[in-house]
Amino acid sequence: MRIGMSRMLVCATALALAAGLTACGNGSGGGSSNDGRIHVLVYGDASNKVERRIVDTFNKTSDVKAVLDTIPGADYQQKLQTIISTPQAPDVFFNWGGGSIQPFVKAGLLMPLTDFVKKDPNLDDKFLPAVFNSAVVDGKPYGVPMRGTQPVLLFSNKNVLDKAGVQPPKTWDELLTTVKQLKAKGVTPIALGGGDQWPTLMWFEYVYDRVAGPELFKKALGGDKEAWASADSKKALGMLKELVDTGAFGKNYDSVKYTTGASPALVASGKAGFELMGSWYYAQQQQDAKDFAAKGLGYTTFPTVSGGKGDPSDVVGNTNNFYSVLKKTKHPEAVAKFLKLMYSDEFVKAQLAIGNLPTTTNTKQFLGQSASPAYSRFQYDLVAKAASFQLSWDQAYPQSASTSMHQAVQQFFDGKLDADGFIKAMQALPAE
Amino acid sequence: MSTQTTSAPTAAAASKEGRRRPDTAYAARGTRPGFLWALPATVFFALFAIVPLIAVAVLSFMSWNGLGSPQFVGTDNWKRIVDDPVMVKSIWLTLLLTALGVALQTPLSIVLGVWAAGHQRNRAVISAIYFVPLLLSSTAVSVLWRALLDPNFGIPARMTWLFGDGNLFGEQTTAIGVLAFVSTWQFTPFHTLIYQGAARAVPQVLYQAAEIDGAGRYRRFFHITLPQLRNSVITSMILMIVGGLTTFETVLILTQGGPGTDTTISAYYMYQKAFQGFDFGAGAAIALCLVVAATIISLIVVRVSGYDKMRSDMEGVS
Repeated sequence: MRIGMSRMLVCATALALAAGLTACGNGSGGGSSNDGRIHVLVYGDASNKVERRIVDTFNKTSDVKAVLDTIPGADYQQKLQTIISTPQAPDVFFNWGGGSIQPFVKAGLLMPLTDFVKKDPNLDDKFLPAVFNSAVVDGKPYGVPMRGTQPVLLFSNKNVLDKAGVQPPKTWDELLTTVKQLKAKGVTPIALGGGDQWPTLMWFEYVYDRVAGPELFKKALGGDKEAWASADSKKALGMLKELVDTGAFGKNYDSVKYTTGASPALVASGKAGFELMGSWYYAQQQQDAKDFAAKGLGYTTFPTVSGGKGDPSDVVGNTNNFYSVLKKTKHPEAVAKFLKLMYSDEFVKAQLAIGNLPTTTNTKQFLGQSASPAYSRFQYDLVAKAASFQLSWDQAYPQSASTSMHQAVQQFFDGKLDADGFIKAMQALPAE
Repeated sequence: MSTQTTSAPTAAAASKEGRRRPDTAYAARGTRPGFLWALPATVFFALFAIVPLIAVAVLSFMSWNGLGSPQFVGTDNWKRIVDDPVMVKSIWLTLLLTALGVALQTPLSIVLGVWAAGHQRNRAVISAIYFVPLLLSSTAVSVLWRALLDPNFGIPARMTWLFGDGNLFGEQTTAIGVLAFVSTWQFTPFHTLIYQGAARAVPQVLYQAAEIDGAGRYRRFFHITLPQLRNSVITSMILMIVGGLTTFETVLILTQGGPGTDTTISAYYMYQKAFQGFDFGAGAAIALCLVVAATIISLIVVRVSGYDKMRSDMEGVS
């Protein structure tokens, strides 16, 4: 607990330092490209291997050299937010599109890529439109996809389904029946890492899209708060409530987390039938439960809803990660050249080799070289054919909304918020 | 007995003397180092405590999301915080968790500390083992307990008669219970150490005298040990209160303030506002509230307990 005290001082110091940093930032207008190079800032993790390679390729032919800077994992967004308006700001940086760059656009820090695209239409055409569009803010493109796509899929334990004599559900009604059958067999029908909150949100994203189509959320995000109170919204909430009340997630999902490996273990060990999760789930299971990943892991698309307005091909999830460009970069031509590498064959092959699924149109021809070709093909077709690819709500909204949003979905699943309470909570979110 | 009582007042008198002596000695020789000696500590404290504190106070009247320069918004942040039901709830939760911490840890650590001060067989070994939780980082402790309390693979799955469906983190009461339990598990050894030292310092003559008077084990504990530990109790309680008010890691890792906002204590709420929501103004206002609250409570404890007067532990002896 003494540590708690010092932690508070650290927080206070961090706040103060952050204040100091911007104060300096306002003084000089120069970018970090003062050293004559392009600084590329990325989220530090295993994918950096590819990013480093692409930077090397770029440096072979370019007069203006690029440097890759990384910020390790969890701290990325915070550090970015702190340095982006200072002289230490990068020229090009990694982000999640949507709400993660929207405050920067609003603050006038980013360069719209309209001119780049005009000069090189490939910068738009070579990417799957549903993905490219999630980094469009106010009608202008601000990001070029630079890693892999991560759609949310319904995963299952084939052995558990076989034993209960059920098939992966194609429709919502089938899902409800399946849930009852699995429950009768004494297994938790659907594993849910409710303690992390964001896995719960995935259910909302899909059900809302299936019932109301992507427009409802778009309207709400655009500031039309009435969208949350619409009949479709209420219908979606009613369906979710019914699913929870049927006991689909068991009773203790709020004590289970995905991030501790507890919810994937439920599926792998046969204690649960399904889990709704991003496509990284496959790699996670390969790492945690190798045998199960090879023999028992099934995956399918989210069930359709009869009478729903959403296209059954719609997907939700993390569309991709993006490179965005700062307005004050001194080398826009070099940056444009650098971004072109993001649809090169070399880039696609390197990403596939480390298990990422790029979203360029030329990805298709290299799918055979992926670490798990069948799985990559399934995902690629899903994303390529999707009428809409909804960016995760917590990333579509500005960062400041995510805590309240996560709390609201958790409280709705717990029964502490009813439909009206949930609607009010969503209406209170800071939108664009 | 008379020989022993005479030695005690001399010691007390000597210590009183001792407190005054250095001043006069330095003054006489004219070599008192004065401010210069305090400079390093003062600079350090100013730089890392006073300056940030002032900056935070200023920031609490500004609106700033980390981009561009902060804008003055007057008392907006403060108004929002006062009207915010989550903030009000977080204060109650903080006080509740702090009170629970004090209520659980104080008796436990007194009993353990007094026991550890003795000379029983294997005492040193058991004390050493019991000391281990304090050596672990809060983060490790929290991660460990989160895994141990997993409803499907942890202890609750094996003890359904006690834990039911094991939804410890899904209900407010049990989630608070877990937080209080984990802090107790981790910090009781620290306070035990304080009491062990203090209990060892209790003069043996008091026990010998009590024994002659026919006092049993319990009377000796309640009438000699406890009163003699008074100053240590206050020290330990202040540490517990200040620590309780600023608890952070356990909540961050164990509950993340959930379910919903049911364990969102003020320090965690500050983190959410400032570093997750990038509302640094509101975060600064909450931080300032915490500083003020911790200061006031500490002052009250010091005043009420008479700790500021530093009354001697030895009064029973003379």
